Amino acid sequence: MAEHGSPGRLSRLVDTAPLLIFALLLAYIAFEAHNFFSLLSFKLILNQSLPVVIICMGLAFVVMAGGDDVVSGGIDLSIPATAVLCAGIIAQWLATNGSLPVAVALAAGAALLVGAINALLVTRIGMTPLLTTLSMFVAVVGVNNVVTSSRRINVSDPVILWLRDGQIAGVPVGIPIVALIALSFYHLAHRTRIGLNMQAVGGSRDAAETSGLDVKKLQSASFILAATTGFIASFFVLARGSGSSPGVENNLMLEMVLATFLGAAFSGRRVVTLWGAVLGAVLVAAISIGFKSMGVNVFWTGLIKGSLILAVVAFGALAQRGRR
Amino acid sequence: MTFKSSILGLAVVALSTMTAQADEGLSLEGKRIGVAVVGTQHFWDREAFNGATSTVEKLGGEVVPVDGGRDNQVHADNHDVLLTSGVDAVISILGDGAVEPKFEALKSAGIPVFTVDHPSPHAVNNTTSDNYYMGTTIGRYMADAIGGEGKVAVFNAFENALRICGIRTGLWKYVLQDYPGIEIIQPELAEEFANAPEDARKQTLDLLSQYPEGTIDAIHVGCWDQPAIGVVQALEETGRTDIIVTALDGGPDTLEIMAEDGSPFVANVAQQPNLIGSTAAMNVARHFAGETLLPQTYVDVVPVNGAEEAKAAYSSLGYGSLE
Amino acid sequence: MSNRLLHLDQVTKSFPGVLALDKASLDIRSGEVHGLVGENGAGKSTIIKVLAGVYVPDGGRLTIGGRVIDPITPESVHAAGVRFIHQELHLVPHFTVTESVFMGQEVRGRFGLDTGGMRRRAEAFLRDVLAVSIPGNRLIRDLGTAERKLVQIARALIDEAAKVVVFDEPTAPLASEECATLMHAIARLKDRGISILYVSHYLNEITDICDRVTVFRNGRSVSVFDDIEDSTGQDLIAAMVGRELEDLYPENRRTPQASLLELENYSGTGFRNVSFRLRAGEILGIAGLIGSGREELIDTIYGLRRSTSGTLRLRSRQLRMRAPKDAIDAGIVLVPRDRRHDGLVLPMTVSENVTLATLDAISRFGLENRRRARQQTEEQISALDIRPSDPEKVVRLLSGGNQQKVVLGRWLLKNADVYLLDEPTVGVDVGARSEIYALVDRLAKDGSGVIVSSSDPGELIGICDRIAVMMRGEIVSVLDASDLSLDHLISVTTGAEPTEAAHG
Repeated sequence: MAEHGSPGRLSRLVDTAPLLIFALLLAYIAFEAHNFFSLLSFKLILNQSLPVVIICMGLAFVVMAGGDDVVSGGIDLSIPATAVLCAGIIAQWLATNGSLPVAVALAAGAALLVGAINALLVTRIGMTPLLTTLSMFVAVVGVNNVVTSSRRINVSDPVILWLRDGQIAGVPVGIPIVALIALSFYHLAHRTRIGLNMQAVGGSRDAAETSGLDVKKLQSASFILAATTGFIASFFVLARGSGSSPGVENNLMLEMVLATFLGAAFSGRRVVTLWGAVLGAVLVAAISIGFKSMGVNVFWTGLIKGSLILAVVAFGALAQRGRR
Repeated sequence: MTFKSSILGLAVVALSTMTAQADEGLSLEGKRIGVAVVGTQHFWDREAFNGATSTVEKLGGEVVPVDGGRDNQVHADNHDVLLTSGVDAVISILGDGAVEPKFEALKSAGIPVFTVDHPSPHAVNNTTSDNYYMGTTIGRYMADAIGGEGKVAVFNAFENALRICGIRTGLWKYVLQDYPGIEIIQPELAEEFANAPEDARKQTLDLLSQYPEGTIDAIHVGCWDQPAIGVVQALEETGRTDIIVTALDGGPDTLEIMAEDGSPFVANVAQQPNLIGSTAAMNVARHFAGETLLPQTYVDVVPVNGAEEAKAAYSSLGYGSLE
Repeated sequence: MSNRLLHLDQVTKSFPGVLALDKASLDIRSGEVHGLVGENGAGKSTIIKVLAGVYVPDGGRLTIGGRVIDPITPESVHAAGVRFIHQELHLVPHFTVTESVFMGQEVRGRFGLDTGGMRRRAEAFLRDVLAVSIPGNRLIRDLGTAERKLVQIARALIDEAAKVVVFDEPTAPLASEECATLMHAIARLKDRGISILYVSHYLNEITDICDRVTVFRNGRSVSVFDDIEDSTGQDLIAAMVGRELEDLYPENRRTPQASLLELENYSGTGFRNVSFRLRAGEILGIAGLIGSGREELIDTIYGLRRSTSGTLRLRSRQLRMRAPKDAIDAGIVLVPRDRRHDGLVLPMTVSENVTLATLDAISRFGLENRRRARQQTEEQISALDIRPSDPEKVVRLLSGGNQQKVVLGRWLLKNADVYLLDEPTVGVDVGARSEIYALVDRLAKDGSGVIVSSSDPGELIGICDRIAVMMRGEIVSVLDASDLSLDHLISVTTGAEPTEAAHG
């Protein structure tokens, strides 16, 4: 047998370590920080994580369909840039007295174009996703700088303001909307053929090919889906900033990558999943907000957050190694 | 000139010590004060932040610091965190339009907001440099430096986004109206916020290749000084000595560049960010002591014209010696 | 032959320079287990690929159930009820059993997928047809190899439309106790009237489970055993080999001296309890089928993998190899089987490749002495007869045989104590082979110990002093090569002849 005995106590500890670290830390924050465990801050955490949650799901699709090797597997770094571009297009169009539906259509077209170019470069020309989408990130940010002339544009469209301020039964409207989006993406990923087939391609290209799946088509679909999440996220980027501000994409990209791969450490299968990505995004937001409300020295938070994430990912890797 | 600005610098420092002494009865004992800063990478932001936090602590208050990491959206979001964690007052340093709704929310929750360099209808008070004086002074210095005529390029990303930049650049343009021989090159340039020196360097290199020797006389940075670092780099790389550089804020890094022999960077107006942050904290204490504050508190600026004045300002502002 | 189900008739397929199939035929009756055997290169995998629609044959035709299949494509063959169980498992490690079984043929339900229904069907199929109970929500990576194989089978057969199932070396990755599970499952399939084409090197399995056997040799179907009950493994081997030893090998034997390398109860991933002694001046062969643990053993001695227990002594000094550097420092070098990946830097020149391992010796103050490097390379090129004899030629442009000689040349410069050669002549033409054999002979005569791991029994008998035969991770026999017949070695290697316990 290729298996070695049953998992020992140590490996079970390693398995649960990432969750344990986060649980302990959240408990500590709740103890130390003012008001952290209130319903109010729970809503705040969810509300602030919305844009990252959405694009994390996009990245999760690409990783599921491309494999989770960070260098040669599936990755799409251009999603935050797409989100920012869509936000820029909508803001610019509204600022010149255009109507929202046209602005949205233009943004959707731009997002699909980005997704299609990514898909083309990766599946037809055979470029590595990491390189392709990193270049795409730079290019798309460049386009956005042209569209907005690198300026901040205020948006006061009622729909965007509703997304920012609206509440349903005391809950900010963004939360149930994103929850619905997440549910439908979950359905797509785990309850439909195309979703399962995408995961098969990412899990083992050979297995997918021998099962007669169209590998290129499925991988392309994942890039289009990713760009779509960028488009959806742009509304929440606009709502959050009451307009489009330049430079938002860098922080978004960092948080997206961290949250998505952090999510893998939480998943039972130790792979990037939709739920893992969503959970990762929310937890990262919770920890940052926790540090802020505790009054941690701002010059230290980056280091603390970084080491924490490293620790969790390292435990995830250890657990996976133990299983091989 | 040197003598004059040294005296001025001394006067500024003396003034600030006097105000601190006069307000000795103030206290923030038992108060939790949120201090939100847009970023801590740049000197100005960091100094204003340090001034505010150290003064809050000196007055016996507890600081809840949050850093936007040079991302205006994160900075805006941070105000929600402060709101939720239930601070007694918020000092908000810089930020663009994204923070306005957050100020409104804080205000309606009964938490007073004190801004630094960000006038807002929802804030109790805004502590800022005398931006009107900065804008007109740098306009006059620049016009003098190019002999009252020539072509000028301007980095002006924030005139419409930030009120203080609107004042500074607007008054700079207002002064230039009286110099019909000066032409502002269109389109105006827009620098990046997060990586300003490097971005400005690239944009300047592009600009220089479009405008050969003798067709451009000055490059001005409309609202701050970080891009000017990249502008000067680009001039040195291309060996262009026909162009002068002017900017605002006068942090130690740009004063150092100005103090170099033959520097193209000829005029600046230095602010006192630490004092500004500290004054904002004092204003919070004054507010809690029942004083009525004016909507704007102006902190004096130090005009810097030429290398010698740069050296003098550098030492009078307490950055060290440049001899 | 009234109940003939599948018939490949007079199939010919040639590749540039090679006639891989020469009017080969294969017929399978309904409800039988049909064995297909032959040496490496006999054409087994080519005819399987023709049947799968991967290769387009130059001539011949395929009939299934009386209907001619033309053209032969993966789709047309699938539609006719032929399923393939590939040697590789091709499963996604983090998928569940249910997801794996239904991969690419998921069943839709009212909302999305009928997850519950698929799981019930997968579990029922595994239980009723393959006689194992594996929960549908188990992850593939938590399964043993045999169970994974069964999942792979279930995936091919779940649509219940299979008439013929082709098993390509199904037991290669399995340990001996796991094979029984698979054999049992195959017997169940046969009971359900499904025909099976069973391709394997393990002749004991062939004689155990097959009803009829076709033997391939040199691209032709040379004989069909209609009643395997009356035949033995020896009969199959005689049909498979049908040739004399080629005269490629150096004449004179060597006289082994003092003991050099000793392994005692040496175990690692893929092999266990290996004990043998290699003496200076000796060439020790290691024979074994795919999955016998040969590759793993060689890799472990060289430090590419970690051993789990047992000892390794070189000149009576006990060593632990953590990385290839440890082995090289101790005087053990490897000429790897995958030259293009492991042994050569393809875009570099012959000279650079030959001196790669000896840079320490010829560089001073960190600078490579180019003149000395060139001189050394030229010596090697003439000694090994590398063609073309240009030291500045880029290695990628050389033929397989010459590439192998470059690799050998590189290690010869090291003057190592022990040489590990893994499949030294795969992809090498006959002329170059005899030169490589002479070189190996010279290494041993100069006092080194050489271990040759090879899948070519003729080669082992031709150049080795002794041959250790491995099967499913253990040494089952150590044979003296001097009076060893090809048939005997093959029958031990393929399990056609039972052997006594291992000894060193």
